[in-house]
Formats: sequence, C-alpha cells, structure tokens
Amino acid sequence: MEQHTHKRLYSAHAWVGIISGILLFIVTFSGIPALFDHEIEYWQYPGYSEQHRSEVKQQPFNLERTLQASKDLGFQHDNFFIQPANEINNHVILAHFEKGKEPDIRYLNASSYQQFNASPSELNHLLAHLHTDLHLPNPWGRYLVGLSGMAMLLAIIAGIFIHIKWRKEFVMLRPKRSWRLLLTDQHKLLGLWSLPFTFILAFTGTILGLLGLISPILALAAFNGDVEKATVAVLGPTAEVTGEYSPVYPLNKLSERLTIDLPDTSVEFIQVSGLNIIAQEDTNTVSAKEEKELVTDIGGIIKFSGYHNNKLSNLETVTYSLSTGERIHQGSFIGKGAFQRIFAAVTPLHYVLFGNTWLKVFYALSALAACGLILTGNMLWLHRRGHGAQHWLSKSTLGICGGLVVATSITFAASQISYAFKFSTESGLHHLSEEVVFWSSWGLMILAPYFIKDSFKLSHYFLRLTSLGLIFTLIADGLFNQRWIGITQGWVLNIQMGILFSALLFIYLDWKLPNSIKPKSK
Amino acid sequence: MSLINRIFENNISKNIAATLGAFITTISLTVCITLLWPFGDVVEQIFAGATFFFVFWASLFYWAILAENGAWAWIRMLIILLPALAVITISFLLKSQTQ
Repeated sequence: MEQHTHKRLYSAHAWVGIISGILLFIVTFSGIPALFDHEIEYWQYPGYSEQHRSEVKQQPFNLERTLQASKDLGFQHDNFFIQPANEINNHVILAHFEKGKEPDIRYLNASSYQQFNASPSELNHLLAHLHTDLHLPNPWGRYLVGLSGMAMLLAIIAGIFIHIKWRKEFVMLRPKRSWRLLLTDQHKLLGLWSLPFTFILAFTGTILGLLGLISPILALAAFNGDVEKATVAVLGPTAEVTGEYSPVYPLNKLSERLTIDLPDTSVEFIQVSGLNIIAQEDTNTVSAKEEKELVTDIGGIIKFSGYHNNKLSNLETVTYSLSTGERIHQGSFIGKGAFQRIFAAVTPLHYVLFGNTWLKVFYALSALAACGLILTGNMLWLHRRGHGAQHWLSKSTLGICGGLVVATSITFAASQISYAFKFSTESGLHHLSEEVVFWSSWGLMILAPYFIKDSFKLSHYFLRLTSLGLIFTLIADGLFNQRWIGITQGWVLNIQMGILFSALLFIYLDWKLPNSIKPKSK
Repeated sequence: MSLINRIFENNISKNIAATLGAFITTISLTVCITLLWPFGDVVEQIFAGATFFFVFWASLFYWAILAENGAWAWIRMLIILLPALAVITISFLLKSQTQ
C-alpha cells in the first residue's frame, strides 16, 4: 500500500472513531444488557419465576383457552398480540398497542391461565431502549444508532487495511513499556481478537438502525413509492375490515396445523386482527352477559411468527383466515434467494436468536472488547496529540462512558432495593425510581471529571462503584426477594452468576489499572 | 476562480463528498440495483438493494476519502452518480410506458 493511501486511511480511521466514539460506546455497552433482555426481564421480577412454581402441571400452549381467558378478563380489542410461554418464561402475554394511548398488556400463567400482576420493574426496557433508540423520539434515535453502526463499520474497514502487521499484533502486549504503547497494543489486540464479532454486530446493527430510512427508497424503486405495498410483499397481508362477522374457525385446530405448516419452529408471536367479542342479544340477564361469543370480521386474520430451530435465516410466519382457517400467506426465507436469506439472518445474528446461551455470553464478551476498543482509541488519539486529562474530550469520554457503566450497575441495585418499598405496578413508582436513579447517577458521573481532576483516581472510583453496585444488587435480591445465590436455580441463578462475574471483572480491572502514567522506560 | 478551486479542493469539501456525496450516490445506486436486479422476484430485488446500500456507502465513502483533494472526490462521486441517475430515469420512463 502506498504511503499516502495508508496515511489517509489512518486519518479516516482516527477521525471516524473520535467523532462517533462516545455515541458508539453508549450503543455498544447498552447492547450487552439488551442481548439478555428476556433473561434480565425474567430475573428482575420475582413474580415471573413464581409462575414456574405453580402447582398446576405445565401444559402445551392452548390458544382457545388463552382467548377465553382474555375474554373473561375484559381484554377486548380487535387487534392484539399474544406471546406464548417460552424456554425462559412460563407466562403468556396479551398486548394491545394503540397510537397515542397507553398499551394494554396482561400477563397470564401459562398453566392455569390466571392473570397475575405485571412487573413493577422495567429495568430491561430502560437499558434495551437505550441500545435501540437512545431514549430519543422515534425514529430519530433509531437512525442515530444506525449511523453509529455505520461509523463503526467504516472504522473497522479502515482499521483492517492500516494494520498490515496483524500477525504480530495478534499477540503483542508490552505492559512494561510506555503508556502509549500499552494503549496501542491493547487497541490492536482487542480489535483483532473481536474483529469477526464487531464486524457482524456493526453490519447487522447498521441495517437494523437504518432500515426505516432506506425502506422508502426501496419502495420507490420496486413499488413506485408505495411503502404499504412493499410491506405486504415482504411481511404478508394485513386484515381487511369488512364489517361482516362470522364465527371463529376452531383455533386449536390451527395450532395443530402449525406442526405441518411451520415444522421445527418455535412460535414466538401470534398477531390477531379482526377478532371481536359480541354479547348475546338479550344483554339484560347475567347469564347473557357471561355468554359472550367470539366472532371475527370475515377479513380477520391470525398470523403466527417464530424462529426455525435449525436455520440461521430463521424467521418463519404463516397467516390464516380467522373465519375459514384457510392459509392465506406463508413467509419463509428457507430456500429463497441469497439476499432474502442474508436479510433474514440480520436480526438472529445481531441478537443471537440461534445457538445457545454460551454464544450469547461470547457475544457479550466481544461487545465488552469493543467497548475497550473505543475507549483505548479515544485515549490514544488524545495522548498522541499531547492532550491531558483536562481536555474536554478526555473528560467527556470518562464521564459519559465510565458514567454509563456506573449508572447501569447502580440502577440494577436500585431496582432490587425498590422491592423493599413494595410499590404496586399501577403506581409506576418502582420504574420511576429506576429511571431517576439511572439518569441522575449518569448525570452526576458525567460531571465528576470536572471536580476530580485526576482521571486515574476517578477511573478507580468508577470501577469500584460499579462492582459495589453489582454486589449490592445480589445482596438486595437476597434480602428483599429471598433469592440468595445457592438457593436459586434456572435463569435466576444464571443472571445472578452473570452479575457476580461482572462484579469480579470490574474488581480485577480496578486492580490492574495503574494509578498514574509510568515514565517511559529507556 | 482560485477561490472556487480552493473551496472544492480543500479537505472540508472532500469530507462532504465522502459523507453527503457518497450518501446521495448510494441512494441512486441502490435504486438502480433494485430496478435492474435480474435474479429472483421483486422481494429479492428489494433485499438485494437493501444489502448493497451499505456496501456501496462504505465503498464510496473511502473512494472519496482516498481522493487527492476535494475536487477529485466530487468527480469520483459524479462518475457514479450521473450514469446511475440516467439509468433510473430511463427505467422509470420505460416502466411508465409499459403500464
């Protein structure tokens, strides 16, 4: 490679990294809890794990019983989603979303079909929403996340070309030389070892973030700008309301047909559109009120979506008519063209919707390595230009990036401590306390570098606070929910072990981080 | 004249070509690919366009960045953009005639 090409690529790598670095850290770090969204959700509310303790024997998912239960609960909506129990949860979720209104979400025990209280904690949503939308209005936050993914992709591409001595750099770490060499070696080591995963995460993240932006462009080309037509072509038909009603086709028969229409697929979502509940004509008597009948608009549909157990491009859907049971659409990427399969693999690749939990752990470690990559990149840029800890970028990097790590750990602890106050779900106070703790602690940490001038000392404080927060989380979980490590099992134990491992990792980092920059060795 | 040259040739111009110029060129190339992709059905065309979008964007970004100066970066973008726009116009004209 010519020297000027190398120089321009190097410069592009550095500037793209510096401009997007902090945002990229926020997206990457918050991606770790987002990766374990369902697992954290299950752990954060003891009510979910109690559904497993139900004395009623576990049974296969019963669609008709679910709808019967929803009818009894007064969950009356034309359009709604059902999420059956899965390998983590033993509950069924009924959800209805309407623009401008609070969503109506109900939780049923998957064995008894009895409603139970929803989680007062929304810790997982708080962190996952930061990863997907940065808590900004839709769709701008999503686009910003997509753009940060694109920046990561660009930095990776230039990074591959400028590191020509990569064989040597794979194993090179000189901890006893200068601070700058240590940073350089760490940056290259983290980058090289995590390269395949960071590349996959960046590419798939960019597509997920910017898909909304490019959809109109694609619709313009393929459907003369008709986005709805393009959506139907890709995702299948939507319900066409006619105003004429008929009895509902036996739903459990449809469920049985899934074994033929969606073989080897675990159904994750069921979308019901056009279903209605009508009362008998004589509505004055109590018995007539109870005898409500399920009917459907003759244009009503039911769509089952799930993940194929043995394929990477694993999104599978099948749509039936609610009135006749006729299969009206089958969406599968198996055996389709290469680009459809590539696109169908984007979400599974980004959120690890294939493989097992250990693969998720591996992804999480790679994301952690990417966080280290971003931090060492920013520090190198500052160090090479002779900027000290007082430079605004140095303070911002430490405050925003380090602060996010501390705020996440403190919020985990606050979420468990809030159970001591027994806030009801309806009051929303539990979630409010999580929000207040998260944003205020992050805000305080962002300001901290302006008061504590020694960045090494502050980094140690941050690492200690983070590990303390995680340890307090486990103690609070034991004290207020009687879930001490050792007596817990299943996913609760897995998450607790994850928290314990993270606490130990931050203690180790605190131990290894120097207290000041060593003078250059001769 | 020298002022115009200076505006086009400096680094800011090159960076704008690499970000904005590359983005606009990417959009036109994506539309081109979606219109002309010869394999599979219309859904395959859409996904081909969507996948190439990011490949084009990254490639064009670095093609502009690696140019000698801003003026060359813009020339490189226009070399791709103008034929792409011509193809799109012709395709839409042919499409409207057949409909």
